[in-house]
Amino acid sequence: MSPPPDHAQRSELFLLDHERTTWHDETLWFVRQKRDRAAYATPEFQELRRLASDLKDHTLSRLAQYLEQFEAAALANGVHVHWAADAAEHNALVLGIVQRAGARRVVKSKSMLTEECHLNPHLLAHGVEVIDSDLGERIIQLRAEPPSHVVLPAIHLKKEDVGETFWQHLGTEKGLTDPQQLTEAARQHLREKFLAAEVAISGVNFAVAETGSVVVCTNEGNADLAIGLARVHIACMGLEKLVPRLADLAVFTRLLTRSATGQPITTYTSHFTRPQPGREMHVVIVDNGRSQQLGRPDFRASLKCIRCGACMNTCPVYRRSGGHSYDFTIPGPIGAILSPNIDMRKHASLPFASTLCGSCTDVCPVRIDIHSQLYKWRQVLGAAGLVPASKQYGMRLLSRVLARPALFRLGGAAARLGLRLVPHALSHAPGYNPWAIARELPAPPRQSFRQWYAHQSPPAHE
Amino acid sequence: MSSRARILAAVRASQPAPHSLPPVPTFRGDISAAKFTAMLEASGGRVVRLPGLGALAATVAGLYPADYRVASDLVPATVPVTCDTPGAELATLDLAVLRGAFGVAENGCVWLPEAAMLHRALPTIAQHLALVVPATGLVATMHQAYARLAGQPGGYGVFLAGPSKTADIEQSLVIGAHGARSLTVLLHD
Amino acid sequence: MKVALFVPCYVDQFYPQVAVAALQLLAKLGVRAEFPPRQTCCGQPMANSGCEQAAQPVYRHFVDVFQDYDYVVGPAGSCVYHVRRHFDTLDQTPAVVRVRRNTVELFDFITRVLGVDQIAGRFPYQVGLHLSCHGQRGLHLATASELTPVRDGQLRRLLSGLDGLTLTELDRNDECCGFGGTFCVSEAAISARMGQDRVADHLRHGTQVLTGGDMSCLLHLEGIVRRRKLPLRVLHAAEILNGTLP
Repeated sequence: MSPPPDHAQRSELFLLDHERTTWHDETLWFVRQKRDRAAYATPEFQELRRLASDLKDHTLSRLAQYLEQFEAAALANGVHVHWAADAAEHNALVLGIVQRAGARRVVKSKSMLTEECHLNPHLLAHGVEVIDSDLGERIIQLRAEPPSHVVLPAIHLKKEDVGETFWQHLGTEKGLTDPQQLTEAARQHLREKFLAAEVAISGVNFAVAETGSVVVCTNEGNADLAIGLARVHIACMGLEKLVPRLADLAVFTRLLTRSATGQPITTYTSHFTRPQPGREMHVVIVDNGRSQQLGRPDFRASLKCIRCGACMNTCPVYRRSGGHSYDFTIPGPIGAILSPNIDMRKHASLPFASTLCGSCTDVCPVRIDIHSQLYKWRQVLGAAGLVPASKQYGMRLLSRVLARPALFRLGGAAARLGLRLVPHALSHAPGYNPWAIARELPAPPRQSFRQWYAHQSPPAHE
Repeated sequence: MSSRARILAAVRASQPAPHSLPPVPTFRGDISAAKFTAMLEASGGRVVRLPGLGALAATVAGLYPADYRVASDLVPATVPVTCDTPGAELATLDLAVLRGAFGVAENGCVWLPEAAMLHRALPTIAQHLALVVPATGLVATMHQAYARLAGQPGGYGVFLAGPSKTADIEQSLVIGAHGARSLTVLLHD
Repeated sequence: MKVALFVPCYVDQFYPQVAVAALQLLAKLGVRAEFPPRQTCCGQPMANSGCEQAAQPVYRHFVDVFQDYDYVVGPAGSCVYHVRRHFDTLDQTPAVVRVRRNTVELFDFITRVLGVDQIAGRFPYQVGLHLSCHGQRGLHLATASELTPVRDGQLRRLLSGLDGLTLTELDRNDECCGFGGTFCVSEAAISARMGQDRVADHLRHGTQVLTGGDMSCLLHLEGIVRRRKLPLRVLHAAEILNGTLP
């Protein structure tokens, strides 16, 4: 069954479970508060945000040069570098590397890029076992669900859901809900997979042009364990992941986890530069719409994103609609400005899934003007005829009224009169007036302000 | 045209006007062992002060059970580990005792270069990890930490802050996800 | 100083008492503001819906009506923000530039332009202050929790100066109410849930009177309060500062 066509309808599904929505909202708000405490405790936090933003702006302005520099450095390190224009090419390249290595078993640490490219189904279809090793990713992989958050992929689930899943797939005791015991069960299950894997796939948090290194940040150590054991390491990165110099990582590592979870740094901040002798390291650089987004002046800043998830944790809409309501690999405010670049028609409702409160912009560690871009995407969608026709027609009509004071006076009076005369059951009918699902309309006053003002003495202006 | 050429051409055509590379100030801060200790403990790690390297073996022996299978180039090891040791063998290890290059006070992490690891998987596959770190070599922030690497991160290297952990189930913090279940930093003068 | 009172369209039609209070409050502070009767709306409802082009005649009308004033003062942060920020799509004629610069939120005008940070009065109630996002994060009229633990703002100071008034400490000092312009109907379920959560925060912490500088947020929150028949009065801050008692 395909999901409902727009964000509002998908949100309604999430909201049906009132208690779970409360839990989801409060849990993510707690993460936002941890982020606040970490930010307040770092005196130069706002300066670091400006630096990170500038570093990314600089890198994007010379991206081709930095990509070439990165490639040259990586090649000199004995790393194989591959380029994929789109998801299909990325998947074919990865499969090719796996097959050339004669491998059948792959473990993969967290990578939103491989989610975006739907790598897993491609590998599975070609007889390659691929196991997601991040605990959250493994949980949703067993449940055949997409992640609902970039940092906390299983945040839409309760421990009871995880217990049920592990009972079905890992043979844990039925009814087990203790996170400690569930995590231990996953540890035992995944150790076997780590030891058996011939290929380790990882994402990339940062790629350093100066040294050809890729940096992977995890708390679990799953990337390091897998890569340390496997014969072949494939790191998959979007082409926007570059930073110019190794030292620039100081700015980004100081911001990433403080923004994401409130930790001062991830447990493992791992720098992969050269393969161990006798082993292979590959980097796959992926475009998949990124160069197109780079060419949109109003929206290119979205490529500065370092996937910390802070905009999700702070977004009052995301917290109450859940990540799946966005129906896009990257949910939340940042997803709502990335997704129309990929498919404007399919994701037309996402830039409207916001009150434009601006909190996302203020927590963003690289200062992406997220809420301004949401506003601008609305205009692009409007111009492309991709907002509902009823809304467009209504807005044109409203504009004609509001540009003509006489019409406005008449319309306002009619609305107030109508509200007074029409029975409550009709003016508040939920099928016709979505406002009324939870709210009363204002009690209509007898007089507008302008009517009151006209009767004041001394006589009003004009 | 290759994908590489196509991508680079598309990127060149789309790049914004030049934006200068900002100078990054060297943010300094507290470099005390107390700060380092507080931050590492907040990440679930533990700090043990050593009077000197001479006390290392005895301290380790006092901290861990005697029957632990230990890999180390610093204390007497029960399992010899090199970069060729098979994973199945590594998986039987209870403890690795390795030398960390330096610690970072602002977040309690330790730089662990490949040269000190014996095997790349050792720091994550051993059930417990102890890192021997000089107290005099602490730096304040990640800026000084990367300055110390001087553009040379080695083949593989990790800033390690605490034991392996996860909060993927209901945001409940659980120590010991896939990597080491505990991290002890042995700070020596 | 020639000052115009900019009365947002929905305030004019549904909350005339708010505009009356703003006018009277300014008069008490020695400012005789005029209400140019040809004014209608800032055009935000259209632009917010992705129809910025359709809003252009409304923008031009706004500039035409207000271009001759030294200040255009509105009791609504969101509308003021729209004029200042989003009228950038018009040709930046001297009139447009002037109107964008001179359009000021009511309490910003009182505090910054008039230099008044205390208004005499008595309001012996526990008051919950709802910060409008466009006023706070857009116009920077109050500090934001994303940036600093310090809670400060013009309206907070003005209200704190009234005798007998105590301000509610909320769990979430500056979370959006969920109104969001057309969002309130296009995403009605989420909008309602956000508003309900905001009202619950106030009730939990003893708010008797819920107030703010933006009637659009308050229209939404009041709709929830009235639907649930909750023990809360909703007043615009101009009413409170002008001496209205609940």
